[in-house]
Amino acid sequence: MRRTAILLGGVAVLALLLTPATGAATAPGAARAAAAGQPDSPALDARGRELYQNACASCHGPDPAGPSYYPTVPSLKNVGGAAAVNWALRTGRMPWKDNKGPAIERGEPRFNEEDTRALVDYIGKAVGDAQIPDVDPARGDLQRGRELYGQACAACHGMNGAGAALGGDNIAVSLQDVHPQDVAEAIKIGPGQMPVGGGLADYEFGTAQSRQEVDDIAAYVESLRTTPYNEGGAPIGGKGPVPEGFVAWVIGLGLLVVAARWIAGRG
Amino acid sequence: MMVERSLKYLDERLGTASLARKTLRKVFPDHWSFLLGEIALFALVVLIFTGTFLTFFYTPSVQEVVYNGPYAPLQGAEVSAAYNSVLRLSFEVRAGLLMRQTHHWAALVFVAAIVVHLCRIFFTGAFRRPREVNWIIGILLLFLALGEGFTGYSLPDDLLSGIGLRIFYAVTLAIPVIGTWVTYLLFGGEFPAPDIISRLFVFHIMLIPALLLALVGAHMAILVLQKHTQFPGHGRSERNVVGKRLWPEQTFKSVSLLLFTTAVLALLGGLAQINPVWQYGPFVAYNVSSPAQPDWYIGFLDGALRLGPPWDLTLWGFTISEVFWPAILFPGIAFGILTLWPWIERRFTKDRAEHHLLDRPRDTPVRTGIGAAGLMVFFIMFMEGGNDIFGVLLNVPVETVTRILQWSLLIAPILTFLVTYWICKSLSRTQLRPAHITAGVRLTRTHDGGYETVPLEPAEAEEKLEPEPAEP
Amino acid sequence: MTDSDQGSERVDVDRQTDHGPADQELTGGQRRAERRVGVALAVAILAGVGLFVVYFAGGQTQIEGVLFAVAFGGLGVALGIWANHLLDAREVVEERHELTSGPAGRAAFEMALTEEVGPVIGRRSMLLKLLAGAGGALGLALLLPVLSLGPAPGDSLKTTPWRRGSRVVDEEGEPVQLNQVPLNGFLTVFPEGHTGAADAQTLLIHVRPGSLKLPPDLMAGVPDGTHVAYSKICTHAGCPVGLYRAESQSLICPCHQSQFDVSDGAKPFFGPAARPLPQLLLGVDDENVLVAQGDFTAPVGPAFWDRGR
Repeated sequence: MRRTAILLGGVAVLALLLTPATGAATAPGAARAAAAGQPDSPALDARGRELYQNACASCHGPDPAGPSYYPTVPSLKNVGGAAAVNWALRTGRMPWKDNKGPAIERGEPRFNEEDTRALVDYIGKAVGDAQIPDVDPARGDLQRGRELYGQACAACHGMNGAGAALGGDNIAVSLQDVHPQDVAEAIKIGPGQMPVGGGLADYEFGTAQSRQEVDDIAAYVESLRTTPYNEGGAPIGGKGPVPEGFVAWVIGLGLLVVAARWIAGRG
Repeated sequence: MMVERSLKYLDERLGTASLARKTLRKVFPDHWSFLLGEIALFALVVLIFTGTFLTFFYTPSVQEVVYNGPYAPLQGAEVSAAYNSVLRLSFEVRAGLLMRQTHHWAALVFVAAIVVHLCRIFFTGAFRRPREVNWIIGILLLFLALGEGFTGYSLPDDLLSGIGLRIFYAVTLAIPVIGTWVTYLLFGGEFPAPDIISRLFVFHIMLIPALLLALVGAHMAILVLQKHTQFPGHGRSERNVVGKRLWPEQTFKSVSLLLFTTAVLALLGGLAQINPVWQYGPFVAYNVSSPAQPDWYIGFLDGALRLGPPWDLTLWGFTISEVFWPAILFPGIAFGILTLWPWIERRFTKDRAEHHLLDRPRDTPVRTGIGAAGLMVFFIMFMEGGNDIFGVLLNVPVETVTRILQWSLLIAPILTFLVTYWICKSLSRTQLRPAHITAGVRLTRTHDGGYETVPLEPAEAEEKLEPEPAEP
Repeated sequence: MTDSDQGSERVDVDRQTDHGPADQELTGGQRRAERRVGVALAVAILAGVGLFVVYFAGGQTQIEGVLFAVAFGGLGVALGIWANHLLDAREVVEERHELTSGPAGRAAFEMALTEEVGPVIGRRSMLLKLLAGAGGALGLALLLPVLSLGPAPGDSLKTTPWRRGSRVVDEEGEPVQLNQVPLNGFLTVFPEGHTGAADAQTLLIHVRPGSLKLPPDLMAGVPDGTHVAYSKICTHAGCPVGLYRAESQSLICPCHQSQFDVSDGAKPFFGPAARPLPQLLLGVDDENVLVAQGDFTAPVGPAFWDRGR
């Protein structure tokens, strides 16, 4: 994994040297979900193609559906279609911003909403999968979502969404501050090590049942962000007994030893 | 007036006055490290009070009920009555969450205080004759505290503690020959047998606390009988105890420490969230949540399991589990050495004399080195218990953390011993002793069993300020 | 207790200090200490009153915790200052008593123990042996109810509810068909009629075509060459191995990080687990529903003594 990352780093430096910076202007958090089924517009298509050639083609190849330039860079044909592109662009994972760290790390989105939609639409059409999940936590059932989350997601992401180590460089990301759209897209495409369908019983993109289940899960994940139920006080990382143990030793016993020294006085 | 009359009443019937007077004049050495055991005792007091409160609300049953409390994500879910009662206690009983969290923090601090108290006893040689019995009782108290903590951790019947219970089940299964029988008798059948929660409850609120309190009583009775040890200093000898009287100084100080202990635990209980079981969700045998750790005092065992080699043995068709080495053999040996330490040390030192004056750790470099090495072993295992957390924190794969700690386990204890030994030798070579001023009165026992106080002569007090000759 | 408890107590009412009553000659330091104690106690009183207010206003965990801490802490500070500055804290020396009763004392004790029990003990040792035997027999008999605490293990650890022909169902009890789990997806499944059974939990994984390296007899239990099923219970300490890494087709246990290669018979390749996850051989019935060919290939879960017997 490390070697892959270094290799990718080298590739990225090359790419950045060869590519003029374009379309990088974006207001923070501006790029959000592009709904599926946008009316075709030649202007949008042209913008998408232009952005692709400028920002993506140097690694992924001139044709989104064709082979990529480097063995370590996936062809966009197999990554999960428009949903994957939308997910990578909105969460700032793509285009790769610098030559540091795994390409798949979250960051600030680099394109504004309109450019994102243009790129997603262009690549989606090119690879023959232009569908983007339509998710709305408000439609979801929180209780059912918690149940499904427990069965499918909690093993890696933790019941409270704090995330966990998965061995090697793999980390199940924290879900405590993600957008519902991220949840729906990740379930559809299974990015990185994540299983497609996320462990849901009969996930099939587009069916009414799967859409409902994704809405349910999104409702639970959204609740982790909006109402995390930290009634007990500071969540100290939300990672369970390890940080709790350190607090018990350092703050709990630490304060008491200081107290004992003070009480014992100059005896 | 009231006080005088009730004292007279009691004394005429129980003869309490002279006994109480003697008790009030008991002398306690005034060193802060002697208060570490008191911190543990006071944490236990907090545990008993908060625990009693919790018992009034807890339901030890895995009967399925429908949750309909204020925690929205769980409304309508089928949960066990035990889990339901813990959520009710946390969200619906006024001050319930504070009590629950204070109880949990008190448990963590209780065991931590026992451990540092144990370290003080070990490194100063306070376990030597005539205190071997109290050493054994102390070790038993540590075990009981671990058992009490683990059973309590498992009671809420949440997803995290269910995983802990599952691992405990695997450990008892790994006991050679009788493992399956022991496991089935303890758990009431194959995991997850429905009886286990109510059994844990009996262990947690009756069996272990009864033993714990009985042994705490014995521990302190023996302490009073044998009197405190003390650090060497001017005017201090094997034949006396120099310090402050139980009344009023020590009483004020101990009560003050009790209040501080309560204050710190209440502060943590109010401000720092611990074991948010509503977030973990109810126990479901086929679900799991990451990261999964036990409370810190079981962390060394969990870490040992993570460090352990994947070696299982099959002998004549019988299996010795890979869990056996780290979770049964290692703790068996480690705690065996700890328990028998007074006798092990005596074998080498041939020292059978009574000791009431404590060693300074630097003066016993071998013991101090071995103790430090032992602590290092436990510390490495404890760290490995959080290998996934530290891996994420340091941006290092868990595999790397594990490998580093596996090598550390082989190397670090030896290095720790050598470095500690060298530091002790260097320190004692400086021959520095902290100067100590003693002035005041001397309490002398008279022939017929009473006491006399003799004020120290100014010249005598002055003499005590002279530095003692350094040890050869 | 100590030998000083016996014997006549010398009732000396000596004053332990030659200081007069405290209010007569306070030093400047003591006066300051007294003020500090007063302030600490006042703070404790206020916090105590605050607790009343908070409780009857409906309670709030954080405020309650802080107020408790302030109330107890204020009292603690007050008594601590009191002890160190306002009491006549002089060091005193107490002599130790000899702990041992000495040989004479022990001999007297033995006398007391033996002198009136009569001739039976010692002479007719047969009776003593019988007494010990009776006690032992009764003791063992009293231990018998311990056996009621649990069933005999029997073969229960070696078997699960999976049978030949058991239909594979999901967590809701719905039958699972071939290709229902998406490629690179996975699902926790159970035998029909035993949904949620702890020892029957199984991972059904839809792996990439051609990626499995299994011997032919095991491959025969992998419908379509892509639907492989392993026990979800870690062979190390029994945690559910629910963390599937789809890209590398491997499983990692959250408890002790044992890792299993799904492509290669779920053999462990890192961590403390010594045995692969037992495989569940599958087939497909005429409704395209996955069915088991029998129980697992090995006892599931952690090792136990007679596992191999």
